[in-house]
Amino acid sequence: MKKSFFGVCGVLLLVVAIFSTVSAANVQVRISGWGGSDQAIIEEMLRLYVNPTMEKEGITVLYEPIADDFQRYIVNALSAKTAPDLFYMDIFWAQSLIQAGQVEPLDNYLAKSKILKKEDFIPSLVDAFSAQRKVYGIPKDFNTLALFYNKDLFDLAGVAYPDENDTWNTLATKLEQVSSLDGVYGLALQPEYARMGQFAYAAGFQTFDQNGKSNLSHPGFRAALEWYTSLAKSRAGIMPADLGQGWGGGAFGTEEVAACIEGAWVIGHLKDQAPNLNYGTTFMPKAPSTGERGNFIFCVAWGMNKNARNKQAAFKVLEQLTSPEVQQWILERGLALPSRVALTDNPYFKQNNREAYANYIVFKGASEGIVEPYSFGEYGGRWMSPIDEVLRAIMSGESTVEEGLREAQFRLDQEMQR
Amino acid sequence: MKTRKQGKEIVLTGKAAVEIQLKRHRWYRVGSIYLVLLLFSFLFIGPFFFGLISSLKDNPLEWPPKLSVNQLKPANWIAAYKLGKAGSGQGFFGEFAPGAVVPFTVTYQVPAGQEPIPPQVVVSKRVPGTAGAALLIEHYAADYARVSTVEEVNREILVDQSIRVTYHFTIHHTGNVVCDRLPVDLTVPFGQQFIKATIDPNRPHERLGRVQSWNNLTSGTIPYIFYNYHRVFSENYSRTTGKQLFSSWIWNSFVICVARVLTTIVFASMAGFALARLQFRGKNTIFLLMLFSMMIPAQVTFISNYLVLRDGVFGLSKLFGVDTLLNSYSGLIVSGLVSASAVFIMKQFFEGLSPSLDEAARIDGASTYQIYFWIFLPLAKPAIGALTILTFQGVWNEFFWPLVVFTSPQDRYTLTIGLLSFRRMYGVAFDWGPILAGSVISALPLIVLFVVFQRYFVEGISFTGIKG
Amino acid sequence: MRSIKEKIAPYVLLSPYLFMLIVFFGYAFIRCLYFSFTDYDLFSPPQWVGLKNYLNLFRDFQFGLALKNSLQFAVIVTGFQTIFALILAVVLNQKIKGIRFFRAAYYMPSITSSAVVTLIFMWLFQKRGLINYLLTLVKTGYPIILTFCVFTLLIQAFFIFIEKLKERPVSFFEPSFLFLSVMLSLMVTLILVKTATVTLAEGLAPIETVWLNSKKRWPNSGVLGISYPLGSIMVLNIWTTAPTFMLLYLAGLQDIPKELYEAAAVDGATKFKTFWYVVRPQLRNITFLVVTMGFISTLQMFDQVAIIGDQAPLDAVITLAYYVYINAFPSSVSPKIGMASAAAVFLGILTLLIVLLQKKAVKS
Repeated sequence: MKKSFFGVCGVLLLVVAIFSTVSAANVQVRISGWGGSDQAIIEEMLRLYVNPTMEKEGITVLYEPIADDFQRYIVNALSAKTAPDLFYMDIFWAQSLIQAGQVEPLDNYLAKSKILKKEDFIPSLVDAFSAQRKVYGIPKDFNTLALFYNKDLFDLAGVAYPDENDTWNTLATKLEQVSSLDGVYGLALQPEYARMGQFAYAAGFQTFDQNGKSNLSHPGFRAALEWYTSLAKSRAGIMPADLGQGWGGGAFGTEEVAACIEGAWVIGHLKDQAPNLNYGTTFMPKAPSTGERGNFIFCVAWGMNKNARNKQAAFKVLEQLTSPEVQQWILERGLALPSRVALTDNPYFKQNNREAYANYIVFKGASEGIVEPYSFGEYGGRWMSPIDEVLRAIMSGESTVEEGLREAQFRLDQEMQR
Repeated sequence: MKTRKQGKEIVLTGKAAVEIQLKRHRWYRVGSIYLVLLLFSFLFIGPFFFGLISSLKDNPLEWPPKLSVNQLKPANWIAAYKLGKAGSGQGFFGEFAPGAVVPFTVTYQVPAGQEPIPPQVVVSKRVPGTAGAALLIEHYAADYARVSTVEEVNREILVDQSIRVTYHFTIHHTGNVVCDRLPVDLTVPFGQQFIKATIDPNRPHERLGRVQSWNNLTSGTIPYIFYNYHRVFSENYSRTTGKQLFSSWIWNSFVICVARVLTTIVFASMAGFALARLQFRGKNTIFLLMLFSMMIPAQVTFISNYLVLRDGVFGLSKLFGVDTLLNSYSGLIVSGLVSASAVFIMKQFFEGLSPSLDEAARIDGASTYQIYFWIFLPLAKPAIGALTILTFQGVWNEFFWPLVVFTSPQDRYTLTIGLLSFRRMYGVAFDWGPILAGSVISALPLIVLFVVFQRYFVEGISFTGIKG
Repeated sequence: MRSIKEKIAPYVLLSPYLFMLIVFFGYAFIRCLYFSFTDYDLFSPPQWVGLKNYLNLFRDFQFGLALKNSLQFAVIVTGFQTIFALILAVVLNQKIKGIRFFRAAYYMPSITSSAVVTLIFMWLFQKRGLINYLLTLVKTGYPIILTFCVFTLLIQAFFIFIEKLKERPVSFFEPSFLFLSVMLSLMVTLILVKTATVTLAEGLAPIETVWLNSKKRWPNSGVLGISYPLGSIMVLNIWTTAPTFMLLYLAGLQDIPKELYEAAAVDGATKFKTFWYVVRPQLRNITFLVVTMGFISTLQMFDQVAIIGDQAPLDAVITLAYYVYINAFPSSVSPKIGMASAAAVFLGILTLLIVLLQKKAVKS
C-alpha cells in the first residue's frame, strides 16, 4: 500500500516537474500600442509572422492595445510598475520618457543581433529616438507631409499640376488660378503649426535655437507665417472649418478645395469617403529664400521598458516586430509606411496607381530637404498652441500678422516658463 | 333657462349662454395648450430625432441638412431587397454569390447638342480605409465579377432639346466564392448628368459629377438602411479575442450597472435606516460629513482615489491575487459602492415613515437588524424602485471616473468611454456616421427603460429633495 | 440596557458607507490637501514645496481663464436652468389628458449621457450644421413670418370687433378666437407662399457663425464677454439639466394646497400675481435645493470640454475641473499632481463659498 502510494506521488512529482520546466521555458513578453487601425495591423502581423517564429523559441507574445490616450496610459503604467515590456513611443513625447530613465538603451542588443541593425533604418528616424549617442527606440513606421491635389479641378481650370519644382510663389499662382472655378478654393489651410511649420523649417527656422529658446521673429518663421496666411486672403486658400470640415483631408474629399497638405493617412480616408477622387501627389514647395523644402516626421518607435523582466526575450520579439518580412507585408498591404531604408526600391512603390505613388512621395519625404521630427521637447503640444491660435486669428481676419507674431511670442514665452 | 323664439333664430340667454361660452372657451384653451406643448416637444426631442435621421445618412455632414434620406425611401428598400435577392437569393441580408446575375438600370441626361455616351461600369476593388475593415475582407467581388455590355433601353427628348437616356446592364458572378459586397462605379463624360438608377447611389457626385458610386449593390434591405450601424459592429473587431468591441462595451456597462445598483440598494438602505431611525454617537457628525462630501467636487478626490485603486486599496487586493484595481470591473465597482446621494434619499424616505413603527417592534423584543430587514426594508419598495432607476441612469452615463480608471484593454471599456474612443478613431477623419450611430445605440436602453418605468423616475427625483 | 450587539448595530449597518466616506472621501480630501503643497510626478516620491503651487496657480494665465470661464458658466447656466425649470413645471402642471406623455418627452434630454448629447450637439453646432441652417431660414424667411403675424392680428381684431359690437365682454387674447385666427392666418400665408406672392428674402447672406472653433466673445472681449464655444456648451447644459429640475418643481407644485389658490382667486388676483405672491414662496425650499445643486454641478463641468476636445480652442472652454485634469495627466510631460491638487482645493473652496453665500442670501 505504501509503496504504490509513494509511487504515485513520485510519478506526480515527476509530471509536475516536467510541466513546470516546460512552462518555465515559456516566457511571456507583453507589448502594447494604440488601438484603432493600428490594432488590426499588429494583431494580424502577430498572427502571420511573429507568433509562429516566437513559439519555436518558447516565447509567447501578449498584445494589449490601448484605445484612448496612450501616453497617459504608459506614464501611469510605468509609475505603477505595470508597464509592458515593449511599447510604442511617439516621437512627440519619446524624449521625455527617455530623459526620465524609463527606457532601455538598445545599442548592446543591436550590436549582437543578426537581424536588427541600426543602419537598416532611415537615419532621421533613428536619430529622433536617440539621446547621448544611444539608441532607445527602433522606428516602426512613419509619416511625412505631402501636397495632394485634385487633378480634375486643375484640368477644368486649365492650370498645370503642382510639381516638385514649385516654389511658394509658383504654387500660390497655381492655387490662385484654380480657385477661379465656381465653388472651389485653392488649398485647405489647417490653422495648425503641424501643417505650417514645415514651411518655416524650409526657410531656415529652428524650433529651439542654441540657447534653447524659440525665436519667432526669425525671418524664416515670419516668411512662412506671412505666406501661409496670405493664401487665405483670396480664394487661394481657406480654413477647413469655414467649409464645415474638421481637417484638410475632409475638405479635399468633398472636392471643395483643389489641394491639401496631409500625410499618408488621408489615403485611407479617401478610400472610404471618395474612392474615385482623381488625385495626384507631390513634394512640399521650395522656399524662395533657401531653395529648400521642409517637412515634419511623424514617427512611432518600439521602446523597451527599463524594468522589463526578460530583456533578452523582449529584444527577440522586437527583432521580429521590425523584421524585413513584416515591414514588407505592411508596405504591400498599403497599411503604413515602414522604416527600413531597403524598402525605397520595393516594387510596391513602382505600381502605376495614385495610391502607391502617394505613398512613395510621403516615404521619400523623410529624406528630402530640411526634415524635422514632430516633437517639441518637454513642452509637447503646449508649444504649438499659441501659434495655432494666432494662425486661426489671422486667417479669420481677427488679427494682423504683426499683432499675431507678438501675441504668439508673448504666449509662447509664458508657456515655456511655466 | 329661457328661450325666446325670434323669427328663425333661437337665442339662448342667461346661464345657458354663459355655460356654452365657457365650454367653448375651455375647449379652445385646451387645444392651444396642446399645440404649444407639442411645439415645445420638438425643442426637446428634436436633436435626438435629427441625430437619429443623420445616423442613417451616407454623409451626415451634407449641406444644407435635409430630412429626406435615401435610406428612408421605401422605393430604395424595395430596390435593395430585389438586388439582394438577385445577388444571393436573400433579400434582407444579401451577398454576391456564385451564379448571381444582378440587373441594373440607370438614367442620364445631356444638354442639347451633346451626344449621350453609355456609362463605363466598373466593379471596383475597393479596399476600406481603416485597416480593421480592410483586413476583414477575404474575397473581392472585383476578381469574380463580369459586367455585360451596357445597352440603351430608352431615349427621350425633352422640351428644351436635352436628351434623357436610360441604360441597362447586368453583373455576373463568374467565380465560386461568396463575396460580402459588390461595389460599383459608373463613369460618364463631364456634362452628362445623372438622373436616377435602380437604387440611389451612395455618392452621386464624385469627380465633379462624372462618377456615381455604390458601396454595396447586393447588400439587401437591412444593411442598406443601417449601413453605419453595421459598420459600428463589424469594423470594431478584436482580431485576437474575436470579440466585437461595441457589444463588449454594452455588456460591460450593463454588468457594472447591475452590480453597482445592487450594492447601492443594499448599502444605502442600511445606512439610510441607521441615520434615520437609530440613535448613536457620532450620528450628527457623520451626517454633516456626508453633506460636506456632497458639496466637494469630484476633482478634489479623484487623484487620491486613482492612486488608491492603483495600489489595490492599500494592498488589500493582493489577498485576491490582483496587484492593482485599475482597468478592472472590481475597481470601478469598489470605488462606487454607494454614494452620498443614495444614502440621503433613503434617509429622507425612512424619516418620512411613521415613528411608531419601530417602537412597536422593540416592545416585542426585535433586534435592530430584524427591524431593518423585516419591517423597514419591505416598506421601502417605492424608494428602492426610484433609487434603482436613478442609480442605473447615473452609472450608465458615467464618464469622468471610468475615463480615469480604464485605459486598457479596449474591450473592457464602458459604453461612454467607448464612444469617446470612437470619436478619436472616426473623428480624425470626421466620419460622423458611425459616431452618430454609436450614440443612438448608447441612448436606446435608457430611453426604453425610461418609457417603461417613467413613474419611478419622477418619484425618484422628487425624493431627493422636497423635504430638504 | 442594550447588549453590545445592539450598541454596535448602527455602526455595522453604516460600515459599507463609512468605508466609502472615509477612504474615498475623507482620506482623499486630506491627501489632496497634502499633495497641493508638494511637487509630485507619480514616479518619484512627493517633495514638499509649501505654497509654491498656489502662487504658480495665480500666476498662470490659463488658470485665470479657467476661473473666469467656470464662474461665467456656473452663474449663467444655474440661473437660466432654474428659471426654465420653473416655467416648464408651471406649464406642465395642467390636469389635462396626456400630460404624462409630455412630461416624459420633456425629460428626454436629461436621460442620455453627456457623451451622447455632446456629440449630437457638436454636430448640430457645426458651421454647416442644423442650427445655422435654421437661423438662416428665420433670417431669410422674415417676409413670411411677418405676413403670418400681421394676418393673425388682423383676423383676431376682426373677431374681437364683432364681439364688442354684440356688447359681450371679451379680452383681446380670447383663446377660442386666437386659435381660429391662427389657423386662418396660417392658411392665408400658405396660399400666399404657394402663389409666390410672398417669398423668402433674396440676396441675404446665410448665417454661418462658427460656434465651436472660435475665440470670439459676446458681447465684447472684456471680462464679461462669453466665448462662443462656451456659450454653446451653456445652451447644451441648460437643455440637458432643466428637465431634471423641472420634475423637482413639479413635485413641489403638486404639494401646494388647493386652498391657497382658491384664497387668491377670491381676492381677485390675476394668474401672474397668484404665481408671484402665492406659489413662489411655497417653492422656496426647492429653489434653494435646485440652485445649490446647480452651482455644485456647473462648477464641476468637465465632460463636455473633454469630448469637444480640439474642436474648440482650449482657452475659450477650459474650466477649473478640466484644468485639474490636464495638470494631472498632461499630454506630453510628466504629471503635475501638485498643481492639479492645488487647483482642485481651490475649486472645492470656491464651491463651498458659493453654497454658503447662497444659503445666507436665502435666509435673509
